[in-house]
Amino acid sequence: MKNILTILAIIASVLAVILAVLPLSNLAIIPSIIALVCGLIAFYLSKKTGEVKKIIQFTFLLTIIALAITTYKSLYNTNEVTNTETLENKEIKSEEEAIEELNELDIDDIEIEDINIEE
Amino acid sequence: MIHRFFFLLYLLSFSLNAQNNAIAAGEKLTFTATYNMSGILTDIAEVTMETNSVKTAKATLLRLKCTAATYSKWDNFFKIRDLYESYVSPTTLTPYLYKRDINEGNYYKFMKYTFSHKNNTVKSQLKKKNDYEENKDIAINSGTIDIVTALYKVRLFDYKNMPVGTSKSLTVIFDRAEFKGQITYLGKETISTAIGNKTCYKIAIGSSETDVLKGKNSNFLWLTADKNKIPVYGKFKIPVGNGELKITSATGLKH
Repeated sequence: MKNILTILAIIASVLAVILAVLPLSNLAIIPSIIALVCGLIAFYLSKKTGEVKKIIQFTFLLTIIALAITTYKSLYNTNEVTNTETLENKEIKSEEEAIEELNELDIDDIEIEDINIEE
Repeated sequence: MIHRFFFLLYLLSFSLNAQNNAIAAGEKLTFTATYNMSGILTDIAEVTMETNSVKTAKATLLRLKCTAATYSKWDNFFKIRDLYESYVSPTTLTPYLYKRDINEGNYYKFMKYTFSHKNNTVKSQLKKKNDYEENKDIAINSGTIDIVTALYKVRLFDYKNMPVGTSKSLTVIFDRAEFKGQITYLGKETISTAIGNKTCYKIAIGSSETDVLKGKNSNFLWLTADKNKIPVYGKFKIPVGNGELKITSATGLKH
């Protein structure tokens, strides 16, 4: 039981650190909680038998690091879209091409009136 | 996720020729696409919906433009820069030209439909990487529209006088095939959004393609219960968790 919990805590804490450094950092909370719970139970059981393995304390350290990164990112990282020049140029070019194509369409196909559109 | 969002949009079309009393040129709606797993939200991309008038030699059309771009934190992992456009009649939102230009990671695809409503046909052009090009003429039903038009056309419907539970079937062309979908009006709800508390019309979106959208009532859209009927919130099912679309700003509204 103790060993299983220790292994679970190790896996969850490593996963938490990996998720924390990825853009999905918010999801690191889930494995962090699992790592903490498993780690604490394993720690308690180990203490009862008299020997606490260093690896359990290491999982706590990893979890704290993961939570610190996640908290920092959620507080200080803002969502922004960059590198949109290509898209903007494409939008302009696409509109120009579309006008040319629409000009070539058969007038019978465009059965609409030329009305003023509110800007 | 972006694909799913746009697929939802395909399904939101009506075959009726409602008059446009909600959408004006110069309107810009900005959304955040979010992945929600057990209540933990992760912002993925910014989605914009913009309109502007386009003057051609024969008429003035309305350009409906939707873009999707991942936030910079995602760009190194999976960069999305999608552009969807439709050139429509400003009064009835009948589409004449539709373009879809998607750049997702290393994947590129361009699709163009030129509608001929007189002959009920669509002239399609497909382009992919390495100069791959394919042209095909497709027969369509009367009233079939593209996904971008569908998204806007859903706003022309008279929800005010529609009994709760009313369903409408819809026909949309996507990837050179027609799909039949269904929307159901579920009543009014007040929700909190970035542009304030809004009373909304809640609609459920379903599809005849059961594999594509999971279940009839797993995908919802909230439209403001005013004359603009702008979409402010969307929720759709994905294999693990939920996708959400939340409005962040709305400018240039007609009313």
